[in-house]
Amino acid sequence: MSDDHDHDHHHHLRESESYYAARTKALESLFREKGLIGTDTVDRVINFFEHEMGPFNGAKVVAKAWTDPAFKGRLLADANKAIAELGMRDGIEGENLKVVENKPGTHNVVCCTLCSCWPWPLLGLPPYWFKDPVFRARVVREPRGVLSDFGVTLPDDHKIEIWDSSAQVRYFVIPERPAGTEGWTEEKLAALVSTEAMQGLGLATA
Amino acid sequence: MKIQHFLGGIENLGPVSVEKRVFVEPWEAQLFAVHTTMMGTGIWAWPDLRVLAESMNPLDYFKYRYYIKWLGGMCHFLVSKNYISEKELEEKTKYYLDNPEAKQPNAGNGDITEKVINYFYTGANPYRDVAVNPIFKVGDTVRVKDMPPVVHTRLPGYLRNKVGVVETVYKGAYLYADNVPTDGICTAQPVYLIKFKTRDLWNDIPDKGDVLYNDCFEVYLEAA
Repeated sequence: MSDDHDHDHHHHLRESESYYAARTKALESLFREKGLIGTDTVDRVINFFEHEMGPFNGAKVVAKAWTDPAFKGRLLADANKAIAELGMRDGIEGENLKVVENKPGTHNVVCCTLCSCWPWPLLGLPPYWFKDPVFRARVVREPRGVLSDFGVTLPDDHKIEIWDSSAQVRYFVIPERPAGTEGWTEEKLAALVSTEAMQGLGLATA
Repeated sequence: MKIQHFLGGIENLGPVSVEKRVFVEPWEAQLFAVHTTMMGTGIWAWPDLRVLAESMNPLDYFKYRYYIKWLGGMCHFLVSKNYISEKELEEKTKYYLDNPEAKQPNAGNGDITEKVINYFYTGANPYRDVAVNPIFKVGDTVRVKDMPPVVHTRLPGYLRNKVGVVETVYKGAYLYADNVPTDGICTAQPVYLIKFKTRDLWNDIPDKGDVLYNDCFEVYLEAA
């Protein structure tokens, strides 16, 4: 009995958030002692994805595409080249980007059923929902049910195009521009564009 | 057979989580930064992590949060490759459990930070600008092969034996990192964008005219 109790206690301890936190601290601390990481690396990496590589990049690209049809054409043809025009750099998990466009009647949804492939240069890191096995399992077979969990209902005559990224291309969606935003600045438009909308799990609304 | 290779299409799982944060606990951000350091300094690459996730007990795979799985995978890898020892990892973990406010040691390699940030911008492009002769052309009807089970694959299980149409023949060739056992994708080869009707993938779903696109390595395809 006491063995069982100890085992349960041990098991429970190893599944607590405080255990995960301590183990993560232990990893960084061993990396520091062994010269495998810098003292500022963790802060710099977190800061990088808060300010340099994040969904604000994608939103800027969408706003530009909404207001400049020639740019949108170049973006759909060669996304890596087009984002460079905006001074944006590609890189990890975005060496080969492909942009697709929502149109009346056609709605695009992106997923990665095998893991968590995601266009980092445009969106930063994938949110929890994208990595969750339930999302990945359901979205390919019942996209409308999954969209409904996100609060999105498409008109009945809309067709869905699903992009399951499993090889080397990372997909990005230009959502439909909301009505009533004519004449808006790119900055104001970019604020309408959520991470979810840029993977087809949300709509841009004004 | 690993359920992790066959997630797409599983039914009766209930509502999806719509949690929009990347990290749901502060330690996850710290762990992620250690992971990217391992990537940026060549200690490991995505395939190492994927192999470990796919070798998990499938029920645990559903049970644990994403970064909890990463934590287990990273510790296992670092110990098995002798970057750290199990003993020192256990000792340090206990130390931080007993002293949650304790600071990190003021030591490290100052060159690594820039190396990791540079890595984010250079990436690791799997594209190879080599002459290849793609077997298939746009408009061809192809069948996805039922590849033999393997440690790691980039072929979603629900596409096996299904028929689609070549939408795009990508220029040049691509390869998958060659440090893990795969089903023939470690050789640079053509990759095709294949278009499937979702009704051809699951014949019991309502016919809404939906389609699904997937990029397939050439070795996964045969003429149909």
